[in-house]
Amino acid sequence: MTGADAAHIAMGIPMTLGLTAGAFAIGSVLGFPVMLARSTGFLPLRVAVIAVIAFVRALPPILWVFLIYFGLGSGLLNLSPFVAALSAFGLIAAVNMAEIYRGGMLSISSGQWEAARALNLSRVSTWTDIMIPQMTRVALPPSATYVIGLMKDSAIASTIGVTELAYRGKQMSQITFEGLSAFAVVGVCYIALSLPVAWIARTAEKKLRAKVAR
Amino acid sequence: MHRQWNLSVIDSPRPVVKLEHVSKRYGAFDVLKDINLSVLPGDVLAIIGPSGSGKSTLLRCINWLEPANSGIISVGDVTIRCEEVPEKSRLTALRRQLGMVFQSFNLFPHMTVLRNISLAQERTLGRSRKEADAISLNLLDRVGLADKAYQYPVRCSGGQQQRIAIARALALDPKVMLFDEPTSALDPELGLEVLAVMRELAGSGMTMIVVTHEMGFAENVSEHTMIMAEGEILEYGPSREVIRNPKTERARRFLRAVNDR
Repeated sequence: MTGADAAHIAMGIPMTLGLTAGAFAIGSVLGFPVMLARSTGFLPLRVAVIAVIAFVRALPPILWVFLIYFGLGSGLLNLSPFVAALSAFGLIAAVNMAEIYRGGMLSISSGQWEAARALNLSRVSTWTDIMIPQMTRVALPPSATYVIGLMKDSAIASTIGVTELAYRGKQMSQITFEGLSAFAVVGVCYIALSLPVAWIARTAEKKLRAKVAR
Repeated sequence: MHRQWNLSVIDSPRPVVKLEHVSKRYGAFDVLKDINLSVLPGDVLAIIGPSGSGKSTLLRCINWLEPANSGIISVGDVTIRCEEVPEKSRLTALRRQLGMVFQSFNLFPHMTVLRNISLAQERTLGRSRKEADAISLNLLDRVGLADKAYQYPVRCSGGQQQRIAIARALALDPKVMLFDEPTSALDPELGLEVLAVMRELAGSGMTMIVVTHEMGFAENVSEHTMIMAEGEILEYGPSREVIRNPKTERARRFLRAVNDR
């Protein structure tokens, strides 16, 4: 395998990164309203959301990718492989981030809510000034773990033809008949992508912790 | 003639906090039974009694942290009929007049001490950051913690945190300060520094309602003392009278237990 072959595989990095970052962004944003609905006092909505979360998590990611690409994509909607994979992983990320956020919210003592109410802070201010900053601190480590897992799961998108790292590795192994070196390059690429994420998360957490640690 | 009428108003000022027939239940359990209470401006009222007597619940009903089931709660010119669900604006108007100090301080751990005190001033009173910080620093100086302004709360002792919490509540210019066992989470020495701040506050004419186990505070600082048990008011009157000569057997028993410690 030549350097050019390895470079061809590495060209899948933007696609893997785009899929991961896109799905994580969707999940981080949608996860918040899902968490709020999951925690609402209105019982029917809460039960419905709990059921949806359990359902989304119960099916393996590859099934969601197939359901959206071959299910919705055939006839109903015209979805490109990338958009289909992004939707599937965005959906999965949303319910998982909702649960991570909820863990963060549960870690905040009821006294914080009471203080916010006694100080007459509005609902928006209570969330943005008091709750979200404290939730973020608790949610950061599991979010970093999750985003790394999401990146590895994104290899599933290769099955519907998204030209990301795993797809290009398989392509190159079929061209060169050098499976071992082709997939070794793929592996190195994944490691190179996940190390900075882990490092950034750890540094950010340390910084936050140093400020308020007991 | 007109002047005389004015004087009579001064002679009998309107209560700033008034509870009429306030009751609260948790399921089948009556936490508060038909509570009637008036607190005049400048009054310092200590509420004492065994745990589970409903004294903290009573305090938390006044600012609607816990909704009462029936009765009428008035603070200043805001009146809440407890059977109805009060609209948001009315609750805001109610709480605008009330400062609250919690047993567990409840400072915001992710903000500096200064930010803890300034935040609500900016958000609810519309003060600028500069204005709010100036007021906060002034209050920190008043509670003896000017040097802590840029620290985080965890770097402060419990007594310091509670004094910061008092400053945070005062920063919103409340008419009445509510204290929910402010020294119960503190060791005796740290409790003293909080009590000193409260004593100074009482001396400045602030209206205060204090749920406490500190008999010294009740007897020497608060004008009136109320003893509660099983959701009812057993005794109410001038502090010395209530503590030295309680009329009911239940109150005598409680005070004996306190004095035997």
